[in-house]
Amino acid sequence: MIATWYAIVSFMLIVYVALDGRNFGAGMLHWIVARTPEERRQVVAAIGPLWSWHEVWLVGFGGTLVAVFPRLLASAFAGYYLALFLILWGLILRGISLEVGGHINDRLWQGFWDFVFVFANFLLAILFGAAAGNVVRGVPLDANGDFTMAFFTDFGVHGHVGLLDWYTVSFAIFAVVILAAHGATYLTLKTEGPVHDHSGTYAKFLWAAVAPLFLAITVESLVVRPALFRQAIHNPLCWLGLLVVIVSTGILISGLATRQEMRAFAGSNGVLAGLLATGGAALFPVMLYSTLDPQNSLTAYTAASNSTALLLASIWWPVGIALAIAYFVFISRRYAGKVSVRRDNQGFY
Amino acid sequence: LDTGCGREPAAKALRNVDATMNSNLSDPAIWSRLQFGFTITYHYLFPQLTMGLSWFLVYWKWRALRTGDEKYNQAARFWAKIFGLNFAVGVVTGIPMEFQFGTNWADFSRYAGGVIGQTLAMEGMFAFFLESAFIGALIWGEKRLGQRNHFMAAVAVALGSWISAYFILITNAFMQHPAGYRIEASGSLGIASLSAYLLNPWGWVQFAHNQMAALVTGSFVVAAAGAFYALRGLHPTQAQLYLRSGTFAALVASVLVAFPTGDQQAKVVGRHQPVTLAAMEGRFVGGRVAGVAVIGQPNVAARRLDNPIEVPGALSFLAYGTFQSYVHGLGEYPQDVWPDNIELLYYSFHLMITLGTIFILLMAYASFQNWRGRLESSTWLLWVLMLAFPFPYIANTLGWMTAELGRQPWLIYGLFRTQEGYSKAVSNGDVIFTSIGFVGLYFVLGLLFLFLVGREIGHGPNEEMVAGQGEERSR
Repeated sequence: MIATWYAIVSFMLIVYVALDGRNFGAGMLHWIVARTPEERRQVVAAIGPLWSWHEVWLVGFGGTLVAVFPRLLASAFAGYYLALFLILWGLILRGISLEVGGHINDRLWQGFWDFVFVFANFLLAILFGAAAGNVVRGVPLDANGDFTMAFFTDFGVHGHVGLLDWYTVSFAIFAVVILAAHGATYLTLKTEGPVHDHSGTYAKFLWAAVAPLFLAITVESLVVRPALFRQAIHNPLCWLGLLVVIVSTGILISGLATRQEMRAFAGSNGVLAGLLATGGAALFPVMLYSTLDPQNSLTAYTAASNSTALLLASIWWPVGIALAIAYFVFISRRYAGKVSVRRDNQGFY
Repeated sequence: LDTGCGREPAAKALRNVDATMNSNLSDPAIWSRLQFGFTITYHYLFPQLTMGLSWFLVYWKWRALRTGDEKYNQAARFWAKIFGLNFAVGVVTGIPMEFQFGTNWADFSRYAGGVIGQTLAMEGMFAFFLESAFIGALIWGEKRLGQRNHFMAAVAVALGSWISAYFILITNAFMQHPAGYRIEASGSLGIASLSAYLLNPWGWVQFAHNQMAALVTGSFVVAAAGAFYALRGLHPTQAQLYLRSGTFAALVASVLVAFPTGDQQAKVVGRHQPVTLAAMEGRFVGGRVAGVAVIGQPNVAARRLDNPIEVPGALSFLAYGTFQSYVHGLGEYPQDVWPDNIELLYYSFHLMITLGTIFILLMAYASFQNWRGRLESSTWLLWVLMLAFPFPYIANTLGWMTAELGRQPWLIYGLFRTQEGYSKAVSNGDVIFTSIGFVGLYFVLGLLFLFLVGREIGHGPNEEMVAGQGEERSR
């Protein structure tokens, strides 16, 4: 039961990263792939109508976490306090820049909101990347299940660690690059003209950069948490996740090579989902690893609600996800194909 | 099934709490309370309009479908733009609320997450997914979807916003009057009966009262826009439509806020939180034939209500059904279960009632003038209607202050004190820092919102352009 809920919560997070990751990526590349104001409206139109639908997956994930793993939420959210508020403010700025930027047809106005948009997306990609690094590396969790963490301490990965160190910073860089690659692949699918061509070029370049970076953080992870790998090689789910990554990489490469944009984007989603699933399976059952004493670590079993709460959640969750899939089908049909600025962007009014 | 407000948990709750230290600035809990209070109050300025306005959009889309009269579509288009801006600010200010359960109220989440997490998660899965999937279609999709489907999108968004309110009010109702829970071996709370939790009587009363109050806000705003255009002699057809729909809906909603929903709300407070009722009325001594103070200032130090003018027996009647009913006084309870800011609670409650009464009188008069055909020509009434729209926001806020101040000193009434719930691992300085950050960010957000909505109002509803018009699918 608890393992299933670990999988469900991981699934919701993976969906969130795949959905909102494209927005972070497109947002980071906004200035580079789109040069003129008209081209930039195209990028915004590719994201604009759906950002709130993507963002609510984070809310759904958070709510589910409160219901099934309340002690994880309590420890992690209080511990990552300031970093989380930066994420919140980044999300506020990202949403607002998308919503109000299109309201006034004025260069200065749009230029300003484009800047806010790019800045917020970089901030979010870096913070989410560092957060993922923190989950793998661990946090200074004490025996009460609490921790307080500075932004950085001595940049080391053991003992009283900070949010940023050499390992989590490399993770953040990896997140920036892979999300940018994901976003570029998405923009190739959704746009036409110069934005499409630039995005296609950047997608290839960025995906090529993902491979060595992935190798680097794998080696780094081997140094930081060697036990994780000893555990993972006996876990069939990790191998399954890795298989998804390999197959998706093949799909991605063939899609990029043959200019089959839908295929490339499917591969891109598969790579992200596969990597996260492999990581999630390797970490199980530890949800928050303690760098002070592994005994303090918070596992799915110690963080979970009681069995009644899990059982009840197992009743309504499938209904909720079935509805979500129905909305997803509606959205996929409604927003299929290339965007057009006049149709999908907010009119100037 | 333990649903009572037992004394034992209360005693246990006191273990490391100095109850007299409550509203002290050196107390870490107060900063998290202020932060939550500020961010939720600010956030709720937006959803209350969303929830009120959404049914106007549904109504106008429906009328347009039925009559084919283009003025209804024009109205829906105009208000959809304001709705969209309002919705966006509502979304971005709403996400911090859920995060704060973990960041600022970690011990509360540990204790009650297994219960309140159920509705928080359901809100995401059943309400937010629905709303956010269709909001784009509502605001930008009229041409692409066709009129019938566009109407359905309006219904989906309206339903989503009301379902969201239901789940969040059930969560709040659990904190006001815990139902359907049990205390687990670990000491934290678990669900004993999902139906008892979801059908919490406090929750349904609160839902009805709150939703009617949101409708008051929505209809006052619609009427104010109508008055604004009528006074300037602009967009006469639209102005008339907004004035007539707005004042009619405002009258109905204002009456329903007071009776039966407000009345029932007072009764559940009297039944489940008698201390709160006593504090709301500034009653320090219990007794029969208890009055409602029309005027009076609570003097907590001297334990009396100064300069009262009371309607005798009114409180006994309203809270318990007969003029002879006994109403408890604060003096009958130990001071450590009194709400910790009785003055603020008293004034919030009384000002809310006063405003609610004025709303009914104003809208009854406006409806009377409408019936006589003089609504659009009565200049001073139009001025009042135009300037009245901020007051429902104030009344809604005061209502929530009454509910939440009245719940103190408990986070979950009778079970868990506010003093126990905040994040012990987070320093005061961090909370103050982030609170100041929110104040700054929300100030800018508010300016931006007012500027853009002001611009929309300035442009007016009669533009021919339809969002998403013109270009069809590019392939």
